[in-house]
Amino acid sequence: MRKKSQAIQGRSVFATIRVLLLVGVLLVVGLLIFAPMLGGRFGTPHQLTLDFIGPFQSVVTQVMGTVTTVKNDYLALLSVRAENKRLQAQVAKYLGELGKYREGYSTYLHLEELLAFKENLPFEPLAARVVGKEPAYWYQTIVVDRGRKDDVLAGMVVLAPGGAVGQIIHTSENYAKVLLANAPSSAIDAMIQKNRIRGILKGAGEKGYVLQYVLKNADVAVGDHIVTAGLGGVFPAGIPLGRVIRVQRKQRGMFQEIEVEPHVDFQKLEVVLIDPTDRRKIIDSMNMERER
Amino acid sequence: MLPAFVFWSIGIGFIVVQTTLLPVLPQWLGRPDFLFILVAFIAYRFPWIPGIMLVFSLGWVMDVVAAIHLGFYPLLSLLTFATLKALAGKSRIRESTYQIPLVGVSYFLVQICFYFVYSLAMPDALPEWSWGQTLQRTVLMVVVAIPLFVLFNRLLENLRQRRAKAKSHRRRSVKVN
Repeated sequence: MRKKSQAIQGRSVFATIRVLLLVGVLLVVGLLIFAPMLGGRFGTPHQLTLDFIGPFQSVVTQVMGTVTTVKNDYLALLSVRAENKRLQAQVAKYLGELGKYREGYSTYLHLEELLAFKENLPFEPLAARVVGKEPAYWYQTIVVDRGRKDDVLAGMVVLAPGGAVGQIIHTSENYAKVLLANAPSSAIDAMIQKNRIRGILKGAGEKGYVLQYVLKNADVAVGDHIVTAGLGGVFPAGIPLGRVIRVQRKQRGMFQEIEVEPHVDFQKLEVVLIDPTDRRKIIDSMNMERER
Repeated sequence: MLPAFVFWSIGIGFIVVQTTLLPVLPQWLGRPDFLFILVAFIAYRFPWIPGIMLVFSLGWVMDVVAAIHLGFYPLLSLLTFATLKALAGKSRIRESTYQIPLVGVSYFLVQICFYFVYSLAMPDALPEWSWGQTLQRTVLMVVVAIPLFVLFNRLLENLRQRRAKAKSHRRRSVKVN
């Protein structure tokens, strides 16, 4: 019983000490806190504490900075990707538009050239759009959207701003087929413009033309212009045909081998002009005169 | 001693996080006062002396790092600690069911007290009081306190078990000798 009461007494003493300790600590804390507060001073303990915690904050801030940088870079990368896609789409769109404008401008230039050429012609030509091409070696032909309905007849001459294109060989009601001047089956009476030396301009397909039957002693040089001679009644005289690009004088034979580059780019023909003069009639009348 | 040191380190970690990471995060994520939760936990689970030491030192560090007027944090921390400790020691609040709601209540009251004291000392330096925000923060504290209390309890139990094992092992080895 005595022991029990002693134990209880001990506990209450301990509790009292504990409370006193708490009060004491609170007082010390209060003093510690309020002394610098009242003096407005950031004391040495505060400074030490700040120095202690500062490095931790610094590390976390640095880590956060790195994480933020990585995140921002990643987000930037994502936005760059999206931006890139958008710009690529825009570029594709603008390139398409640019292509259209270029095409329009090119067409404009071509039509302007055609118009200028048409205005200089002594006759009123008929413009025709090329609707088909036959690139075979032997039958270099094109199809144009003019036919008998437009009074287009076989034998009519087809021209382009660059010069002679060919001759109508077949016609239907709405379309006509043109034998190109560079077809191997084509032969045009031609002459060297500078000295009027004549020859026969044969089609050589993709190679252009070959001017035949020009004597070895004839003065022909690279760069000379070849025009139609006007003989035979098919092509009127003076229509540009091409430019000499190679002259070869062989030991054997009487004639030179002259390669001519066409003025007309047959691969790029889009619109041609048809001379509505009925050449057959002329040829027939010429033949009749000869027969007389 | 080891549990006190471990929880002190956790408290330092909380202070660092609260003063570096949380202010950077978006506001809608909320900025719970982890240190307050830790103080409450210390009040429930630590004895008076180590508890006071822990709470005071953590309050001190927080005060140095964040406070404009020195002394408020340790004072608030100690008052919170003492109040919760006294309540937990003499009532059913010792049971874990009451602990977390009491964290919310004490936080709410501390907010009001803090505001009241500050409004007396420096009325111009305070933003306008908002019941909505205060309640929001309190709810957030309660929500965050749940997992933290679970973690702290597990950690403390783990540390105490280790300590007990180490003691019993030492006794055995003494008896054997």
